[in-house]
Amino acid sequence: MRQVYLLCLLFIGCSSNLPGERTVEDDLGRTVVLPPTIERITTLAPSVTELAFAAGAGSKIVGVSTFDDYPPAVDTLPRYDMLPTDFEAIVALDPELVLASEQVNSLKDIDIFSSVGIPVYFVAVNTLPDVTRAIRALGELLGTTEAATRRAIQLEDSLAQLSALTVSLSERPRTLFLIDDVTLYAFGQGSYIHDMIDLAGGHSITQTMTTRFPVLTDEFVLDARPEVIVGSFGLSYDATKLVSHHATWDIVPAVLSGRVYGLHPDPYLRPGPRLVSGAWALAKILHPDAVIDP
Amino acid sequence: MNRWAIGLLILAFFSVIISVSTGDEVSFSEALSVLWHHLTFGYGTVPDPIADRIVWRLRLPRALLALIVGGGLGIIGAAMQALVRNPLAEPYILGISSGATAGASLFYLGFLPPLISKAVSMPVAAFAGGLCAILIVYSVAGGRGHLSVTRLLLAGVAVASLMGALSSFITLSSPEPDKLRSVLFWLLGSLHLATWSTLIWPSIAVLIGLISLLVLARPLDGMLTGDESAHSLGVQVESIKRILIILASLVTGSIVAASGAIGFVGLIVPHAVRSVTGVTHRRVLPASFIAGAVFLLWADLVARAILPGAQLPVGIVTALCGVPFFLILLRRSNYGFG
Repeated sequence: MRQVYLLCLLFIGCSSNLPGERTVEDDLGRTVVLPPTIERITTLAPSVTELAFAAGAGSKIVGVSTFDDYPPAVDTLPRYDMLPTDFEAIVALDPELVLASEQVNSLKDIDIFSSVGIPVYFVAVNTLPDVTRAIRALGELLGTTEAATRRAIQLEDSLAQLSALTVSLSERPRTLFLIDDVTLYAFGQGSYIHDMIDLAGGHSITQTMTTRFPVLTDEFVLDARPEVIVGSFGLSYDATKLVSHHATWDIVPAVLSGRVYGLHPDPYLRPGPRLVSGAWALAKILHPDAVIDP
Repeated sequence: MNRWAIGLLILAFFSVIISVSTGDEVSFSEALSVLWHHLTFGYGTVPDPIADRIVWRLRLPRALLALIVGGGLGIIGAAMQALVRNPLAEPYILGISSGATAGASLFYLGFLPPLISKAVSMPVAAFAGGLCAILIVYSVAGGRGHLSVTRLLLAGVAVASLMGALSSFITLSSPEPDKLRSVLFWLLGSLHLATWSTLIWPSIAVLIGLISLLVLARPLDGMLTGDESAHSLGVQVESIKRILIILASLVTGSIVAASGAIGFVGLIVPHAVRSVTGVTHRRVLPASFIAGAVFLLWADLVARAILPGAQLPVGIVTALCGVPFFLILLRRSNYGFG
């Protein structure tokens, strides 16, 4: 089957599909040709694994990267390296489709997968609504529309509930989200993190920065005077460490009022379904009095 | 003091002023008033605490670190070029920077325990790494009683590759993968971790380097003429070579620990300087120091200013601005070397 497909590419061009094949467009606008049903998939990033599970297609995943650790069902799956991509191990698992993340995977990987006839579908989550859009799209792609829709509605309800609690709050603390506490990596323009902060009732101070992952200067933070600093440093993060790395921040409002918090990194650094719980956790930090669990 | 030296010093002074007063966060006049307040020990109006922190505790140490690192790279580049009598030489070519980077990464990524504090153990690890690299190179090149420049260069390039591979290995197999992002930024060469206390070690090392090299200025001139004629001029060639190598490890190690591996300054600056001053080290060394310092300061200004609120590793800027400038210089100038 695969050889025939390759021959098609070589001699006829990609326009003529085999019977039953479908053509879909992925989040990068690429045209992806898929077999009629898909039973075996592999994922190239933890975030797309989580999205595929949310779409009800977890049982179709036959292998995940060594970075994957969620949901617990991935523990028993075969693993492959992603630094660099271990193509041989992935091809050996014989997937009918490879799911990739626009945030972390390289477009160059496509060439190698397509040379062995495995289609690659890229998922891009750059806003909070993108999460449920991606879940629905994956449900349709993998034939699990019903489960995907159910989960998507559940997540949207949860977001709506949070929004109802925070939308009318007049006090919206200026919030800085940091990825690293020494070298100040942060989220710039066009990231879902600003949606999360906004929904949680805050105002993200890096949302207009022109690069995607800017490294902030200490003076930017001093001048922007964030009222809350949160970072993907882990829940046990000792907030005094931040000031020991950045001694001049002793007069930043967030530091003065003791509002520096470490967060569990995954719900913020993995653009998947857990962004929703991440937004709730953030809201409880920003507005402890107004936001309580539903 | 020649006219050019005074000119360079004035340029350095005004570059510092421009550097600390450039940026969206603090206005030019506000920055000047902060400087005035501190330099006169509290005379004048007490500055706004935020402007004070930005100018006096962030920008000024960063500008001074740029001067020290750039100056240090400049003089070590000049000394290395005299040592191997080859215009290609710089701290990188002999594997010192790569060794220092490998040593510092071992520490940075959690393979080595911090000895006393990070401020002390990182330069020590970098110095040890640099020294280790140069000792390998040296023992290969100096096998038969005297140091062969050809073997020194070849062994240096080989050890640099080895140490580079070691750094990559350390980076990719780190027990603390969360630190990779920081390490990447530092590996590309950046001054963003500058504070008054991180200035201490590089300043001491660079000062030792500068003074020692100035003392050795005449023997260095002799070495440009070749080992035999240097010897006949009364230069203790072999011991000078050893001293140069130790000095280069010391200065490069402390620089790498503070700012990562910043490329091209050590290569370009001495050449640019020689096209103005000629090859005499009594002039080349101080001029390389000031020119390297000013060059890196301006490169860092670009690295800070190019993205509002954010920054780039300065190593990228030194390569982007330095290399075209170097190529133009190479095409135009026609100075003799040795």
